[in-house]
Parts: sequence; C-alpha cells; structure tokens
Amino acid sequence: MKLQKLTQMGLASAVALFVASGANAETLRFRLGEDPESLYNVETNSLTANTVIASYLLERLVYFDKNGDAKPWLAESWELNEAQTEITFKLRNGITFHDGEPFNADAVVYHFNTILAPESASPHLASMGPLTSIEALDDLTVKFTFSEPYAPFFNELAGATGGFNSPKAVEAAGSGYGRAPVGTGPYMIDQWIPGTEIKFVRNDNYHEQFRGDAVNKGAPHAEEILLSVISEDGVAQAALEAGELSASMLLSDTIAQFMDHPDFNTVIDETATNLMFLEFNHQKAPFDDVNMRKAIGYAIDRESALAAAWDGFGTAALGPLALGIPGFDGEVAAKYGTPYDPEKAKAILDDLGWVDSDGDGIRDKDGKPAEFLIKGYAGYAHSSRTLQVIQANLAQIGINVTLETADWGAFYPSLLDDGWDMDLMRWTARDAGILGELFRSPGHRQKLPANAPLDDLLTRCNSTVDPAARNECVSEAQRMLLENVTIVPIMSNWTVIATQGNVKDYTIDRMGYLIPGDVRIED
Amino acid sequence: MANYVIRRLLMIIPIIFGILFLTFLIKALIPTDAVSALFSGTVSEDKAAEAIAQIREKYHLDLPWYRQFGIYVWDVMHLDLGESVRTRQPVIDEIGFRYVNTLILAFSALIVAIVVGLVTGMLSAYFKNTWIDVTSMSVGMMGISMPAFFLGFVLIFIFSVQLRWLPVIGRGDFQSLILPALTLGFIEAAALSRVTRSSMLDVLSREYIRTARAKGMSESYILFRHALPNAFLSILTMIGLQIGNLLGGAFIIEVIFGWHGIGELAVKAIQWRDFTITQAVILVSAGTYVFVNLIVDLLYTWVDPRISYEE
Amino acid sequence: MTDMILEEQQTFGKPTGSNFARAMRRLLRHRSGQVGGGVVLVLVFCALAGESILPYDPLSIDPINRLKPPSAEHFFGTDELGRDLFSRILYGSRYTLMIGLVSTVIAATFGITMGLLAGGGGKWADMLIMRVVDVLLAFPYILLLLAVVAILGPSLWTAMIAVGVGGMPGYARLIRGEVLAQKDAEYVEAMRALGASHLRILFGTILPNVLPQMVIYASFTIPLAILAAAALSFLGLGAQPPIPEWGAMLVDARTFLRTAWWVVAAPGMAIFVSILGMNLFGNALRDVLDPKEMSK
Repeated sequence: MKLQKLTQMGLASAVALFVASGANAETLRFRLGEDPESLYNVETNSLTANTVIASYLLERLVYFDKNGDAKPWLAESWELNEAQTEITFKLRNGITFHDGEPFNADAVVYHFNTILAPESASPHLASMGPLTSIEALDDLTVKFTFSEPYAPFFNELAGATGGFNSPKAVEAAGSGYGRAPVGTGPYMIDQWIPGTEIKFVRNDNYHEQFRGDAVNKGAPHAEEILLSVISEDGVAQAALEAGELSASMLLSDTIAQFMDHPDFNTVIDETATNLMFLEFNHQKAPFDDVNMRKAIGYAIDRESALAAAWDGFGTAALGPLALGIPGFDGEVAAKYGTPYDPEKAKAILDDLGWVDSDGDGIRDKDGKPAEFLIKGYAGYAHSSRTLQVIQANLAQIGINVTLETADWGAFYPSLLDDGWDMDLMRWTARDAGILGELFRSPGHRQKLPANAPLDDLLTRCNSTVDPAARNECVSEAQRMLLENVTIVPIMSNWTVIATQGNVKDYTIDRMGYLIPGDVRIED
Repeated sequence: MANYVIRRLLMIIPIIFGILFLTFLIKALIPTDAVSALFSGTVSEDKAAEAIAQIREKYHLDLPWYRQFGIYVWDVMHLDLGESVRTRQPVIDEIGFRYVNTLILAFSALIVAIVVGLVTGMLSAYFKNTWIDVTSMSVGMMGISMPAFFLGFVLIFIFSVQLRWLPVIGRGDFQSLILPALTLGFIEAAALSRVTRSSMLDVLSREYIRTARAKGMSESYILFRHALPNAFLSILTMIGLQIGNLLGGAFIIEVIFGWHGIGELAVKAIQWRDFTITQAVILVSAGTYVFVNLIVDLLYTWVDPRISYEE
Repeated sequence: MTDMILEEQQTFGKPTGSNFARAMRRLLRHRSGQVGGGVVLVLVFCALAGESILPYDPLSIDPINRLKPPSAEHFFGTDELGRDLFSRILYGSRYTLMIGLVSTVIAATFGITMGLLAGGGGKWADMLIMRVVDVLLAFPYILLLLAVVAILGPSLWTAMIAVGVGGMPGYARLIRGEVLAQKDAEYVEAMRALGASHLRILFGTILPNVLPQMVIYASFTIPLAILAAAALSFLGLGAQPPIPEWGAMLVDARTFLRTAWWVVAAPGMAIFVSILGMNLFGNALRDVLDPKEMSK
C-alpha cells in the first residue's frame, strides 16, 4: 500500500461517514465495546469479534439449547463411532451463503482445513485438539476424525469458531476477507467503518431459522442492524437515554439508571460463564504451601466484593468452574470450597507460624513480614474495586498486600515473570475444557508444579465424550482443584443489558450470543 | 529566503529519522511484543507456538531492534507502511480516514480556541487586575482546569441527554463535530488566552501606545490597530507548538465523543502492542508537526521580516 | 500542552532579587493572586496537615455504606466502596500536589540542564541537544507517556517520571533561549573577565538569573502535569488503587455520573478549583514579576 493513497482513502472514508448516518426506523442500533480486529473467524480471537460473527453472520452445525445440550442447526443429525473418534454430520440441504454459493460438505471441510493449516496461524488451532482430518463423504455428509475422543469439540462447533464462510468469498478476498465476511446468517455485512461502526442488512434470501430456540423462523424482523463502537459505558448509557441505541450491554454501575424505568427494559442473564478468581504464584514461597493458599481463601469476603464491585449483579463463587458452564458442581463447591471465615484463616496462619511478633498489625515469619503483591487488570473499575476489597480482607487477617494494575498487554504476559505473589484473573469460557487449559501443569502462566493425578484427570475429562461420564469427571476435577486450592474462586458476574421499552424478544442464547432474527421493535 | 526554506526542509529528515529511531528504541525496551499481546487472549499459547513464530517472522519481530529499524526505514522510503499485526489489514486503511478526522477536529478546535482565547485574553488584559480579569481568565482556563473526560461527560449530559440538541454517538457528521470541537477548543483556548493576555499587556505598556493614548486615539483603535496584530504572532507561535497536542493529545476526546481519529488509534495500538500501527501514527503526527511548524516559521518571517532566518 | 507558554515568557526581561518584597506586596494586591493564592494555600495546608484532620480513614472500605449521598455525617458522601469522600479528597491533595511537583522537578532538572548545555555548550552541543528536543516535541505526547509506563511498569512514580519526561523539552527550549539572550549580558561578561569557568558561568551566574522565569513557567506546568497524570489514570496507568489521587478517583467514579453524582463531583470539583487556582496564581506571578511592573 502506497503513501500517496493516504489522502484519497481518507477523503473517501470521510464521504462514507456522512452517507452512513442515514439509518431508518427499521434499524436496530446496538453497541460494540470495541472495534473487532477482523470478522474472519479463522483469524480472530476476541470476545467482541466472536460475538458479532456468531450472532449475525455465520451459522454453525449445532447450537446449545437452554439446558446446555447440543442440538442440530445447519446439521440435520450426527453420529459418533464406537471409539468416539469419528463424528459424521448430515447437513441440511438447500442452504446458501450470502453470495449465493451453496453451503455443503466442501464448505465445512474447507473451513476446518483452513484452521488446521499452519500457514493460517489461526489462534484456534490449539482448540481443535486431536482433530486430525475432515472429509466430505458426499455433498451433504462430513466426517471429522480424531486421534482420541475430544469432548470440548462440540463447544467449538457451536461457538463462533464453528461458523462457516463461503469458501469462494474467502479465496477471492484474500487478506481483506476479515472486513467482508460472507456467511449463511440472517444478516449480511453492508459496511464497516473501522473503529466507528458496522452496518448489517437483512438477508432477504434467508433460508429458514433451524434453531429450535428461535421464535421467528423466517427472515429477521429488522431491516438493518447498526453496531456503534462505544468503549465508554457512560456514553452508552447516555446514548440509550437519548434514544440513539436500541439496546446495550452495560456495567452494573450504569444499569441502575434503567432498572424499574418505565421507558426501558432490562435483560439480566444469570447463567454466567465467567469466573473471577485469585491465582497464586505456586513457585514462590509462601504460596507454594496449600495451607497458605487456604488461609487466603477463607479470608475473602465474596459477598462484600460482589456488593461493592458489581452492586450485587453476580453470584459469589466457591468452585473453580463458572456456574454457567456444563459440569459445574455446586455441591462440590460448597463442600470443598473456602467460604468467608476470617477466624479460620487466622488460625491457619497461626499454625503456619505467621504471627504478629512485633505488634505492627502485620504478621511475620522468620523476620519476614507478610507483605505480598497482587497484580490485576486495569481495564475496568470492577476489577480494581474487587482488588481493594481483597486488600481490606487480607489486612483484617494481618496480611499487607500491594496492588499493581496494568493494561492486558502488560499484565497478562508479565505473569510469566516471577515478580508477583497473587493475581486477580477473570476468564470467560463455555466448556469445562477451560479447567485443563488453565490448570493442567504447568498452567496457563507456567507457575503450577506437576500434579500427575490432576493432570491425568483433566486430560481424561477432555477425552470423555459421554455427557454424564464427563460431568462426573469434571466434578472430580473441581474437587481436586479445591482441595489443592489451586485458585481462590471469587465470583461470576451476570450479563446485564438495557433495551428501549419497545424492543421485544431480545434473547441471549446459552453461548452468550444474540438471536437477532427474533428482536423486533414494537410500534 | 529560499536558502532558509531548503535548510528547514532538510532539517525535517534528521528529525523524522530521530523519531523513528526513538520509536524502535522504545519498542525494544517494552517487555511485551505484539504477538504475545495478540495471543494473550488464548489460553494455550504453547500450543499456538508455531502460529506465534510465524507471525513474529512475518513482522520481523524475531530480529534485533536495529535490524527491524533498518527494514522499516527501507519500507517507509518505498512508501510501504506495512500491515497491522492485530487486524492484518494494510496500515494505510486503518490510519487514512482517521487522519482526515483528526485534521478536521484540529482545525475546528483551533477556530474555537482562537475566538475564545482572543476574547478572554483581551478582556483580561484590558481590565487587568479587576474581577473581569479574574472571570475572563477563569473562562479561558476552563478547558484545562478539569480532565477532558469529565468536561466531555458533562457536555454530553447537558447537550445530548437533557437538551437533545446534539447526538451522543459520533457519526462523523457536522453535528457530531460540535461537542468535541468545543471541548478541544476550550482546552487549546487556555494557552491562547494566556498568551494573548500577556502580549497585549506587553503592547499596552509600550511607549507608542502611551503616546497614542496621550494623543487622544480611541481605545478600540489602539486595541485593534496595535495590540491585535501583535497578538497574531502569538497565535502563530501557539499553533506551531500546540499542533502536536491537537493531533495526538485529543485521544480522550476522540474516545468520549466517538470522533475516531489517530489519537484514539495511537493509544489503542500501543495497548495492543500493534507496533506497525503505532509506528505509522508516530510518523504521520510527527511529520505533520514538523511540517506545520515549518509553515508557521515561514509565516512568522513573512509577517515580521525583522525576525532573522537564523535558528 | 506544556510548551505553549515558552514564547510568552521570553517577551519580558529579568527582575532582580532585591525586588522580592515588592513583588510579594503586589501579589497580595493582585485579584488573581488573591483568589489563586488562596486556593494554593488551602491545597498546601491540606497536603501538609496529615491524617489528624481527617474525619474518617480515607482507605478503610465499608461496602454496606457505599454510595451514600452527602450528609452531616459524610460531607461529600461516600464512594463506591463506602469510603468517606471528604476524607479522601483531603488526603488525596498530597498525591495530587506531589504529582504536580515531582514531575515538574524531573522535567525542570533535566530540561534546564539540557537547555543550559545547548545554550552555552558550543555549536555542536546545541545542534545535538536541540535535535533531541525537536524529536521529543514532535513525538506524540501521550505515546511518550504510555511508552515510559510500558517500559517501567505502572505505578504512581512511573506516572510522575513519564509526565516529567514529557515536560523536559519545554524547559530545555525555554532555558536555551534565555541563555542565548543573556550570554553577552554585561554581568556575564564581567564574570568571564574575572576568569570564571564556562560551567560556573552557566550554572552559577546565568541559571539564578533565569529562575524567576522558571518559577512562572512551573506554575503553569504543575497543573498540566496533574491533568496528564489524570489522562494516564483514564487508561488505568496512573496512581494505583487504593491511593486517593483525585484524577484516579474521578476516573474510577465516571460511571456513576447519573446514579451517584457526588462520587464524580467531589474529585471533579477538587481538580477544577485547584487547577484554576494554580493558573490564576500563575497569572498573578507573571504580572508581578514583569519588569515593567517592577519599574512602576
């Protein structure tokens, strides 16, 4: 790309900006927290990009219903072989991409082969696990072959990664495809002004909504969907109040404005798939000691943290798996977790020899005061507030902690270094496979010592395909993680959305994606 | 004169070179690179090792910084700004329209700043050491007396939510330009207000003004004939010094009002550690800074030929 | 932002030390001086007074009493973690003032040294240093700040260093101009004739004579430094929690503008009044140190 094009391009974009403002009443206006890096699901990675891709543009072979069970979508049916290493999908007939190309077995094969190809450098390569090959048995039959059973695969199939792009469009657009995706979904991309807005128009040739959980089986109600990039929550709040947004996901601070407000509705999804938790540097004393970690666990007042940080819009967590993820075991969490009990925490510390010998309010051991560093993400105030509650909780039991927050690009990679004791982490996942990814030694930040029974168990959970057997395995993993106090779970926050009062059927599915065809504006 | 212009133009080269050098030095010193930042959303970084290595190689991140610097200078000389690591799109596509947006905002803010700055500065100088002085200076200083995001939120609340005069969501049209231009304008006005005030005071205390007054010339004649032209030089100087600020310093305003310019892009790019974008933003804004300052200096010598061409 | 006052300072000459008392008297009579000076005095008092004047512990959280509106019990209300905002504002004044002062001292120390060496160190030193200054000035300010934070890791000190580095070139340019203007002044010639060394003349003779300019310049860069630190806080890279630095407090509170206005208003107004006060005080300083005033 040459420099001389700079002014030309700029002017063209400026003109485009003026044109874009003419949206009509049949338009749904939603908020994007950030501009997606790309809308090609082979190369994207962010939650934002995934949500946009999966909600509006691309459809998958399966979806998860409200109970978390996989149901056919673009697939008619599927079957597994005896060894559970082969899955054969029967595809629906007569589905076409936005560009008129047929959706068939070749499109499925093309998509997964692209992810597997090393030259794509796809961030999803790792989540394909032991997938070895994909073949088209006939025009509408596709077989996935694995070197061993791989349970999290259905989650990948149902998520944004499993959405299908028109192979012809991908080939034709080359590196520009990420800005001009072509799928089979109810909406088609019309215009994308980077950093500003993305406009979708209704797919008038839409086949039929095959999802069982969708109310509207035909083409979507609204003609257009306009996604505006608004990173500031306060601005999104103002835009909703001024009627410039149909709906917006908000933080708990700003949602209060719309609760019990006659002109607005709120949608609150309590099946949280995120978990905020304290992690330890297991390679550094004193947190290499399970009892030390346990003391921290008992010291955390989760309800206070929840009230202070999220205004109560969340669920306190005792277990290491978010409550919305299939396999979450509340009984194990209650039995083996470390509920708030500062006296117990103090007793453990006393036993460990951490006592306040010099009367300064801070415990010490072998002349070393109990002073530690907690790292955190500086991206939003909720994390910093939680950290401050944790700091106060630990001060109560005689431990002094310093907080250090930084942007994600600095914070997350810095955990590979050794200069920290604890960190406040938050992760969103939809499959219990997350436990293996985070906590199979050496762990996602390389600080976990080898733990053969746990490692084997986590591997086994991933290769157990039968749902009941898998849940049993995942329960066992949760128990072991809690006994080992690998982490201290704190809370899961709910998804809170405010919509204009006349916006109806704004439904978020089990995966956290919008079902856009259902949303309508009532006159 | 021609000699001076050529010398000034040539001086741009070492400055741009120095800026690029500094950029790469910084890049080498920052602990995380673009790829580890890019992949830190995926849990299994180790399994993605091959993909990571591939991207590192593509963007020359595996080379020592001075070699990256050499390659970049070579590419820039061939008018190639490269591809964004994050979006995999040509940098020019990311930066082009944002640069235009930034120029539009900077220019509009400048107009606001000049009006507000001149009026408050002149009032304050003319009524020196009175309550009018204090009040008009306070108005002139308002923009830099509070953080930009605070001012921005308050303006949105008043004009967009309560009065509904202006849109909340920036869409690049004239209506969306008003609030950011006012906010940035008031911020820039502070400098101008002060500069105007002191250069006016300077002029008003000069011998020839006293003589003019003694001769019974009208106050407005004195103000607009003698004092204002003098303030014009100050405005020129301010534009030169403030241009960097108008270009990159407006990032919070761009974020709050959804006026998507290069300031916002620069901040995001460095948070993503997307260095191809960061480098390009630095290059473009530094280039503009140097260029505008050259024009300002030339105007300066043209307005006031007594000013020598010497550095 | 920090360098706009440069040219202005250069438009007037040098006051002499003997005029100090007269300058102080003028300052007290100056309207802006009264208002601004009053604000600055209150600010300094709060910063120095220590914890004894605080009605509550500014750091101790109380989630049950979060977001309570202003009352006789809590003058400014309580924040999102139930802390008394009045105490936090009083206590935070020291951090806000510290950010302004420390970063200005950093900027001034390095900037003045660079400027002196450029102005008095010969043609090549001048060429080299001024090109470095040019590069720093042309480099987008916020990126310079972010780069320093990214390299050193976020903390209150890093924020101050970053803002200081950003302010350096302004001081360097200002002082260089002064040195060039004074190089051939009579008092400098006299020192030279007495055989004083080059460095001695630069740091011992010229520097004290340009200090009033530095003080005026600093009175305007201190508030700007506070705002720059607030901009860093906006990105989560300023003062670390739970430090009640006003900029960071305002940033953390900004989502409550509609639901709990006092959480936003307390730090917002504190910053507004302080910075306005500092600027008015700076204006007054400029007026009373103006030689034309002095000679009246």
